Amino acid sequence: MRISIENFTKTFGDTTVIDNMSLDINSGEMLALLGPSGCGKSTTLFAICGIHRMNGGRLLFGDRDVTKVSSQKRNVGVVFQNYALYPHMNVYDNIAFPLKVRKESKAEIDRKVQEIATLVHIGELLQRRPAQLSGGQQQRVALARALVRKPDILLLDEPLANLDAKLRLEMRSEIRRIQLQTGITAVLVTHDQVEAMSMCDRIAIMDEGRIVQLSSPKEMYEDPSSDFVAGFLGNPPIAFLEGSVDEAGFRLANSEVTLPVPAGITLPGPGSAMRFGIRPEFFQPDNALKVKGRISFVETQGREELYDVTLENGAVLRSIQTQGGSYRVGDEVTWGIAADRILAFGPDGDRL
Amino acid sequence: MQRSSWLGLAFLSPALIVVFLFFLVPVVLTGFFSFTNMSTATGVKGGAYVLNASGLRALTDAGLPKSTLEQIEGAGYRVDAKGLEALALDFGKPVAEEFAKLHEGEVFSKRRDVERALKDLRSNPIRKTRDRKQAADLFKRSLMNERFDSPTAFEAALEEAGIPETDRPLITEVAYTGWVWTTDNFGFLFSLDSTWQYAKNTVIYVVFTLSFNVLFGLFLAIATFYLPAGQAAAFRAIWFLPRILPPVLYIVMWRWFTWDTGFISTVLSGFGVPPRNWMLDTEFHAWTTIVLINGFVGASMGMIVFSSAIRAIPASMLYASEVDGASRLQQIWYIILPQLRWPILFITSYQTMSLLTSFEYIYLATDGGPGGATEVWALAAFHTALNNYGGNLQYGLGATYALILVVIGLLASLAYLRLFNFRNLLVKPRIEG
Ligand SMILES: Nc1ncnc2c1ncn2[C@@H]1O[C@H](COP(=O)(O)OP(=O)(O)OP(=O)(O)O)[C@@H](O)[C@H]1O
Ligand SMILES: [Mg+2]
Repeated sequence: MRISIENFTKTFGDTTVIDNMSLDINSGEMLALLGPSGCGKSTTLFAICGIHRMNGGRLLFGDRDVTKVSSQKRNVGVVFQNYALYPHMNVYDNIAFPLKVRKESKAEIDRKVQEIATLVHIGELLQRRPAQLSGGQQQRVALARALVRKPDILLLDEPLANLDAKLRLEMRSEIRRIQLQTGITAVLVTHDQVEAMSMCDRIAIMDEGRIVQLSSPKEMYEDPSSDFVAGFLGNPPIAFLEGSVDEAGFRLANSEVTLPVPAGITLPGPGSAMRFGIRPEFFQPDNALKVKGRISFVETQGREELYDVTLENGAVLRSIQTQGGSYRVGDEVTWGIAADRILAFGPDGDRL
Repeated sequence: MQRSSWLGLAFLSPALIVVFLFFLVPVVLTGFFSFTNMSTATGVKGGAYVLNASGLRALTDAGLPKSTLEQIEGAGYRVDAKGLEALALDFGKPVAEEFAKLHEGEVFSKRRDVERALKDLRSNPIRKTRDRKQAADLFKRSLMNERFDSPTAFEAALEEAGIPETDRPLITEVAYTGWVWTTDNFGFLFSLDSTWQYAKNTVIYVVFTLSFNVLFGLFLAIATFYLPAGQAAAFRAIWFLPRILPPVLYIVMWRWFTWDTGFISTVLSGFGVPPRNWMLDTEFHAWTTIVLINGFVGASMGMIVFSSAIRAIPASMLYASEVDGASRLQQIWYIILPQLRWPILFITSYQTMSLLTSFEYIYLATDGGPGGATEVWALAAFHTALNNYGGNLQYGLGATYALILVVIGLLASLAYLRLFNFRNLLVKPRIEG
């Protein structure tokens, strides 16, 4: 089912948390709401499921206006940030709860609970209490409870935040599998960019209650609309070079070094400030646009090695290289930037 | 014991002292009194030895020979210092001095003999027969209504009166006015019909007030939970008033409310209902008022405890139940109430204890009326031991009532403790030691 948020505004007392946000989520799509802590992701989610009333704007499920519909009647499944399982019920009763309050027959409830329990692989845990489950198991129970009554929409609020790295990886594909299998429209709230990029069809990046960019993961990575977005995506993160516009192009701050500006970028007037963003994979020994620096930090990541290179003016560039280079801290290096991959940002942070 | 345990004990010591002084000592004293026949008549210190009419009756019933009884009643006329002194006061020194010279130390068995002896005096100012009779009576000595402070003095008097030695111990026992140890209180108490009436009243009182307390407290807690914060606070404050109002004032308001010229009567008179005392006119009304008076006070406590327990439920759990489709009622029934199980059990047990022993509101409102209909066990103990119209306060019997209540309270506490412990067996400690 398609979700349309139109001019959504949310205030708590005097503070406006979300201001005039509009967002369209396609039917069957999994969309990530990505952003730093406190930017209003959960608030948006709570507005979609009806826990929070909207102070302004409209919410449509398909063609139906649900702005004033109570959360009981929206048929939205939610997996909460802390799972919110009912501690006094066992797993079976937790999953059966949404069916029980709709007064479905015992047999019907049993059939559906068993079916969903198999789907999320918790068939053997049904008699346990939530307190007797691991974080990952609780998360599956919460997912099963959200899915059991076949909701039109699935909302997930940082469902993987409490899991260890391996389990997180596992659950990522698990959730995606279930979402694709059921064809449900899903919104995933997260502040983990890897999660957002690996699981979702599209990402909406939020900052301070606004959506900064909405696009597919690949597009967002390669073509960020601002330095905020560029900085948010990518691990290890992008490195920024501060500087200003010069007749020769981009001149590094506190230095005589200038870099040519890639084609197709309209520069602001001479003298105005600007930044170059260079991702670690585009700063390599073999690239053409050479800069000189000294290796200030080496981190071995197993398959790859990460180097921090401090330039003469004190700015730092990052480089990620496959194993084999025998560079050490303190080595003088002259490596190159892939000139066509430089991202240039204007004084206000917007992409040029 | 570890050092920290001693430290803990040291910290606890003020509490222990308070428990000792205000709980243990009263209980021990109650136990002690309940095995005595103490009353206003016996006093709480030792007693004196006095034979009075009822003592004489008891002796008659005990089958004392008639002659002995007569000896007790009329031990004769003895010319002793005390009588002579009285004679001197009433009829002049000379008469007394002469009478002393002639008859001091003599015992006359009949009054007529004394009168004759008086008549025979040379300085004879007692002319009238009536006066002589009066004068003779000054020497009358009887064991009746005579106070002796020690058993030896009493026994000496018996001996002097010539009472047979075999009868003396029984007479001494009956004459003793102080308290004695006895276990009769228990049998006596259960032989009284009124005792069973008190038990029944107590059950009615506890069951109905408790139900009201818990259910109404729950209702208030849940209702205020769903109100906006400001209104909820105001509402709770109102329901808290009865608890912080001084009991006397609170009851005075209820009395005014139910008085035959009070609020209810005044309002209802507008509808043609004749005014009456709505608190005391029927047993049903008395009980209703009692349950309401205590219930409003108790409900506020339940309300506070339940309210905080509800607020301790994570909000996300309530949100979850809403998006799961649960209506308000289903949310209350399936999510909130199950999580209030232990607070409810706690309030129930706590209130049972305090209701069993509390009587102050009943005392102030109906004082057990009408006709003992609302006389609960604790109030009966109070009335028997400390406050009754007959004037004879039966400390011993009252303490027996109280002791039985203590025993019931202890048993109930043990039962409830087991219930709570049962929970501890189920739930492992959160912090492992
Ligand atoms: N009930 C509330 N009352 C007042 N302010 C609130 C309330 N709930 C959230 N906020 C504020 O709204 C802002 C957004 O909160 P929200 O929970 O949506 O953040 P989030 O993006 O989900 O963050 P996180 O990643 O830490 O969960 C925060 O600044 C928060 O302080
Ligand atoms: Mg959140």
